Amino acid sequence: MTNIISANGLKKIYHRGSEDVHAVDGINFDAAPGQMTAIIGPSGSGKTTLLNILGCLDNPSEGTLSVGGEEIFGGKKALSEKILTGIRRRNFGYIFQKFYLIPTLTVLENIMLPSTFYRNCEVCKTPKEVLKQLGIENRAGHFPAELSGGEMQRVAIARALINSPKILLADEPTGNLDSKRADEIKEILRSLATGGITVIMVTHNLDLAKAADRIVEIRDGKIV
Amino acid sequence: MKTLIPLFLCALFSGPAFGAVGCDLNDPDRDVARLFPSSTGYKTQYLSVKTAGGEKLLSRIENRLGDKFKGLYETIDVPYTLYEIYKGKEKIGYIHGVNQKGDYGGIQVFLSIGTDAKIKAFYIQKLTSRAARELRSKDFGAQFTGLSLKDFADYDPVTGKAPDTSPVSKLKSPSAAAENDFHNVLRSVKKNLILTDEFLFSKAVK
Amino acid sequence: MNIYSVAYKNLLRKKTRTALTAAGIALSAWVLATLLGFNRGYENGLNRDIDNMGFQVLLTAKGCPYEAATLMLKGGTGLRYMLEDVVKTVTSNPEVEGVTRMLMQGVFDPNKGENGAIAAYLGVDAQTYPKMKGYLEFKQGGWFTDNTAYEAVMGYEAAELEQREIGDKLLIPGLNAELKVVGVLKRSGTQDDGTIFLPISAVQKIFSKQGKLTGLGIKVKKGADMDAFENRLYDLPDVQVVSMAQVKSTIMSLVTSAKVIVFAIAFIAVIIAMAGVVNTILMSVMERYGEIGILKSMGAMPLDIFRMIWAETAILCSIGGMAGIALSLATARAAEAAVRHFLPFTPNGNMIALDFNIAAGAFGLIVVGGLLSGIYPAWRAARVRPLEAIRSEGE
Repeated sequence: MTNIISANGLKKIYHRGSEDVHAVDGINFDAAPGQMTAIIGPSGSGKTTLLNILGCLDNPSEGTLSVGGEEIFGGKKALSEKILTGIRRRNFGYIFQKFYLIPTLTVLENIMLPSTFYRNCEVCKTPKEVLKQLGIENRAGHFPAELSGGEMQRVAIARALINSPKILLADEPTGNLDSKRADEIKEILRSLATGGITVIMVTHNLDLAKAADRIVEIRDGKIV
Repeated sequence: MKTLIPLFLCALFSGPAFGAVGCDLNDPDRDVARLFPSSTGYKTQYLSVKTAGGEKLLSRIENRLGDKFKGLYETIDVPYTLYEIYKGKEKIGYIHGVNQKGDYGGIQVFLSIGTDAKIKAFYIQKLTSRAARELRSKDFGAQFTGLSLKDFADYDPVTGKAPDTSPVSKLKSPSAAAENDFHNVLRSVKKNLILTDEFLFSKAVK
Repeated sequence: MNIYSVAYKNLLRKKTRTALTAAGIALSAWVLATLLGFNRGYENGLNRDIDNMGFQVLLTAKGCPYEAATLMLKGGTGLRYMLEDVVKTVTSNPEVEGVTRMLMQGVFDPNKGENGAIAAYLGVDAQTYPKMKGYLEFKQGGWFTDNTAYEAVMGYEAAELEQREIGDKLLIPGLNAELKVVGVLKRSGTQDDGTIFLPISAVQKIFSKQGKLTGLGIKVKKGADMDAFENRLYDLPDVQVVSMAQVKSTIMSLVTSAKVIVFAIAFIAVIIAMAGVVNTILMSVMERYGEIGILKSMGAMPLDIFRMIWAETAILCSIGGMAGIALSLATARAAEAAVRHFLPFTPNGNMIALDFNIAAGAFGLIVVGGLLSGIYPAWRAARVRPLEAIRSEGE
């Protein structure tokens, strides 16, 4: 099966005065469609940096990356923000530990936000579909302040899914949730992967990591 | 040319030297202190027959006056300025002015009225008359002190006559030349007292 | 849902801050609209008052104009008079279409108010003056026809003060002269409302000023060479020439100078308001740094972010601008009363002439100013790199 995401020799080097910090140091990474990968490792090991490069939120210092067969980073000049935004829009959905919902928009409006920017999107889902998929139809008219942590993360996931992304990136998706809500999110991510979406998540939650198809451990910028 | 500009501007823009539509004191701060020496302050109200009661009120006033409102300037919408006079927080009286058509010009008659509805002082602010000095004299004005609306009840402004029993019959014109304007002044005093009664004292009783 | 509704809802996040910024914009719009309206009203009033004089050139007797002005202000006559034979001299000029003689006189009336006041009377030529003041209309009666008659035409306010109607008597105090009112004018909104007009020969007789004038109004033929004519008039002995055209252009140049100051004040008010807008929107962008990063991560292009932030500025300025215009309309009369109280010379008529064009112009300026102010915050927001924004939010 062709990998949906393929990275070779990825490096991310930060220049801090006279010192160079290798946040990511020569990582090769592949993921197949519908595969769920958990990236674990101690704090400062480079897991979030790797996730951000894979998700085209950051440019690598070296290495190649292709997404859906399209070469993104390949030793060429760094891509402009506009081009990267277009790539993110077509391929990725993101969820974060802090949810980042807009407080003055309702649940429905928060979910529709990506489609505000991605006009004439042929592959986009309807809000009703994703609301139903995440089991939050009855909260459509509510504001984020009226939701529980688990509900807010469901809304964030629904928002990430509205553009029908091939890849869902999650940075500590259960970091702000209690164990019960964390289990609910785990089940949702698992079902999304079963449904064909590639899920790549950074987590400290071992239960969540064990639900993944594979676990990748990173230390000092390298996969161990 | 430069020096003519101020001259020209004076001619062009100096406002009319004439007063407003109603009957206001020219200098209320000064005049209130003079007409009510014990006062410490005043409030100003603007009323008209139109706003205070309309045609019904006008009819009642005309009946009480014994004469109709007439002419271009004695109309239902004329504004009347009523000054409420205070000593500290206590209301001690009122000052009210009325425009009256005189023989040669407008007569502005102001009455200082106590809370007992009696005249405390009489003041003609403006008068054009051959007998203006006599009509504006202290002696003439003093005749009105202590009188009230009750005393004017039988005075007929159309004929200018009052029964011998009426206190008004004892009021004297200062001279033969002043006779017409003397009757005009009496009409204005009676009208002033009626308006004050309608605007204030009758309302208070109600 | 679109970017504009998102922008509007973003403004509602910090209601107090948004309200205060909008209030600042409203105040600047209020100042701008009121000052623009004042400019127009003052200019219109000036033009109207000057045009309503009815003649293009005014001759007055030569003398110290400041003393004359003082006497006129306090009432009383001009210091000097012209002799009537100046009429013949002036009418011999081919440029002259017509002239009208005037004699202003006054008496001190001790029975006008507590300390007395001046009663002024303007003697005018019965045949020529009404033609030059064709815009004056009568409420009752009409002009006197005989220059020697002891008759009077009263401006509306003068008649109202004296409670005079046609047929009534009028007394000139001190001189014991009795006249009959033959006309009461309608309100014209000019100086004429407070004037008592008498036939000129009657005034000359009553005040013992036979053969004397204080003014001669000259109507000039259309197309006449005004400069040449005025130059000839300057050569006349003992008269001063007041040319309405020159007065108008002199006053207008003064008005233009005032305009510059007025516009400078309005400009400063708008600048201050716009500084407030920049501050508010920039603060809002900084507070939402991470959120903007998230929006970019979910597919918002830099232009989308720019438009969203710029829309917030436009909405804020539109709301503030509309409120300010409404406030200026509501307070126009009060502002006018204040202007009349403080300015020594004010023309008649509406001093604050606010119309649709002025309101629209002021609103447009505010919105354009706002859009310009919003460029920098919108550009900053558009440049946000998602990763840095998310990181800074995380920190």
